[in-house]
Amino acid sequence: MSSAQSRALEINSHLNPSGRAGLLEKRPDDIVVTAALRTAITRGRKGGFKDTAAADLLHGVFTHLIQRSGIDPSLVEDVSVGSVLAPGGGATEFRAAALAAGFPASTAVKSLNRQCSSGLQACVEIANAIKSGMIDIGIGAGVESMSQQYGPQAVTEFSDLLEDNASAAECKVPMGVLSEQMAKDKGVSRADQDRFAANSYQKALAAQKNGWFDEEIVPLTVKSEDPKTGKTTEITVSRDDGVREVTSESLSKIKPAFHKNGTIHAGNASQVSDGAAAVLLMKRSTAEQLGQKILGKFVAASVVGVPPLLMGIGPWKAIPEALKKAGISKDDVDIFEINEAFASQCLWCVNELGLPMEKVNPKGGAIAFGHPLGCTGSRQVSTLLYELKRTGKQIGVTSMCVGTGMGMAAVWVAE
Amino acid sequence: MGQHSHSRRPPHTPLTTMLEFRTAGFNPYNVKYSPFFDHRIAVGGGANFGLVGNGRLYVLNLTANGIACEKFFETQDCLFDIAWSEQHENQLLTAGGDGSIKLFDIGVGQFPVAGWQEHGREVFSVHWNLVNKSTFLSSSWDGTVKIWSPERKESITTLPIHSCVYSAQFSPHHPDIVTAVSRDSHLRVFDLRTKPSAQNHMTLAVPIHAPPKVRMPGMLNPNSGPTECLTHDWNKYRDSVIATAGVDTIIRTFDLRVPSGPVNLLAGHDYAVRRISWSPHLSDVLLSASYDMTCRVWTDGSNVDKGGNGAGMGAEMGRMDQHTEFAMGVDWCLFGAEGWCATCAWDERVLVWDVREFMRR
Repeated sequence: MSSAQSRALEINSHLNPSGRAGLLEKRPDDIVVTAALRTAITRGRKGGFKDTAAADLLHGVFTHLIQRSGIDPSLVEDVSVGSVLAPGGGATEFRAAALAAGFPASTAVKSLNRQCSSGLQACVEIANAIKSGMIDIGIGAGVESMSQQYGPQAVTEFSDLLEDNASAAECKVPMGVLSEQMAKDKGVSRADQDRFAANSYQKALAAQKNGWFDEEIVPLTVKSEDPKTGKTTEITVSRDDGVREVTSESLSKIKPAFHKNGTIHAGNASQVSDGAAAVLLMKRSTAEQLGQKILGKFVAASVVGVPPLLMGIGPWKAIPEALKKAGISKDDVDIFEINEAFASQCLWCVNELGLPMEKVNPKGGAIAFGHPLGCTGSRQVSTLLYELKRTGKQIGVTSMCVGTGMGMAAVWVAE
Repeated sequence: MGQHSHSRRPPHTPLTTMLEFRTAGFNPYNVKYSPFFDHRIAVGGGANFGLVGNGRLYVLNLTANGIACEKFFETQDCLFDIAWSEQHENQLLTAGGDGSIKLFDIGVGQFPVAGWQEHGREVFSVHWNLVNKSTFLSSSWDGTVKIWSPERKESITTLPIHSCVYSAQFSPHHPDIVTAVSRDSHLRVFDLRTKPSAQNHMTLAVPIHAPPKVRMPGMLNPNSGPTECLTHDWNKYRDSVIATAGVDTIIRTFDLRVPSGPVNLLAGHDYAVRRISWSPHLSDVLLSASYDMTCRVWTDGSNVDKGGNGAGMGAEMGRMDQHTEFAMGVDWCLFGAEGWCATCAWDERVLVWDVREFMRR
């Protein structure tokens, strides 16, 4: 950029009360991402990872993260893994996966569960631990094998105390049922949901064809059993297998899943999937010292609560909070990665926030390629940063609604 | 003048006491009264709004027949700030867009008598040490503040800030205290007497956007995130008080004895505030220049002169709206009556006027 151009932009930034210019500055204490990657996301019980344990998926992203970043594994002090369905949080097998991937005993590992935002929560906790000086280098990750761990056993029976408390009992209402009600109350029509969903599929398909997922996805070789022959073979999985040709016309033929007059169905809700993702975080000064290549930086995050029955509005409340913390407005954001739990809730949030549709999930979302619960939040980081980089843009937001009524959002900058 | 409603004020009729100078072809960035002569002011600026092209330093004289240009100097790039020497009545410093700092002498030819080139980007401010008078500083888009001596070719100290530093100053009360405000929404305080440890002399970093420490009924709640800070100034009487202002249009006062948040918020400007200056005569009064084209005079409500405790409600006391483009510079006359000031704007004009004529009565 010429100095005349940069001076003109500077004056422009004075007239637009926004922290954008400050946000884009590079400071030594920035929390930067030096690697972000994920496995392919595959269909639950049918896809490429149906016979792969969550810990093995995690092992896969850990191995690739070490390889791609070239980081000395002994420098990584803590690994935080978001996961929703694993019994015991997955704490034991995730630690084991880290050891198997080449991290020494000195690298600590924990699992955490904030439902669908677990993967983001993991990244944010690592970023905060670095900021506070507790650690210097860490990994925020997320994983879910919905093939192996999705089911009624994932939620403990409610006690009488909880059952007898009206708002507590609301936490148990299934996502589909409450989203159906919310779509009805908020007036999100089936046609609009289907159009949004078809668009997600079409964007994902185009992105896949153009190779726009290639940088974020790492191939994993796993064992898989052919359901017909019962023969187990080794396969290499490197693409999201839920993505397919879909039109709003074809979606309009699917029967509603939760109510006979309902609007939500398998085609306009997120897919049940398997996958893992990981993000390597450290201070800019550390990255520069180690010669780590910087993909982008973490700026700020927010977590909010909303009524359990309106959990789908989480991003609508969380995104403005995160933007405020970052000192920018929604107009400063180039790309929003908002998890598509249901077309109805995602669409409602986008409209209510007044976001231009072309800025939302430009490579499609969970409707097209799936929502492996704990993985999604960390998956969005690589999806976002590589897309910002590819399109020469800079500021992005990741966000999702969270079961039982919460929302999270984070602001990222690609470099 | 009668009572003016806030929103619909009749435009001021031109005042016979207002003096004007045109910087034809150049857009001024700052104006400074000489600390030695009440009739001498300097103006720095550049062609094409400072985006590209030459810079120019004007030395102007206030005469019975208006403002006369005594001399001007041409530079290769825009001058974003100027500072009079506290040592030598004919010398002044310029902050260049090309990263250079130059010392000009009014009595010596067309070229600078000294120059320094260390900054990697535009220099946005220069300021002379008012107490020991033997050092000066500069701040730059390159994210540093540098301390210099006019006798030395290289800087004495570099203070890394890692964010574009729009304004830096020496305290008018202490020779070793330096403050800087920057794009990252922080006011930093440096004490050059401390060891140059990992903190690089920094003793305090105050987030400008932090909520006020003590909230009073009726006080504005900006509820804002980080904002670029473009200007700041030390109060000339209260040695721990600093005002800052910038892109979020709000002028804030800070007391370094309780640095966790602003003491007072002065809201009113419609666009970013580019420059502020505390009165050399009254401890509660300051003047601002804004992209909204107005220059406004404020009290921070401290009323220290009248026995107040320093934490009253601030208020706008008047505004001058004769500029027709972004107002960029303000400075007070140090001499004589207490209201005279000079302002400059991208309308290629320097105006010299008496603040009291624009105060609400």
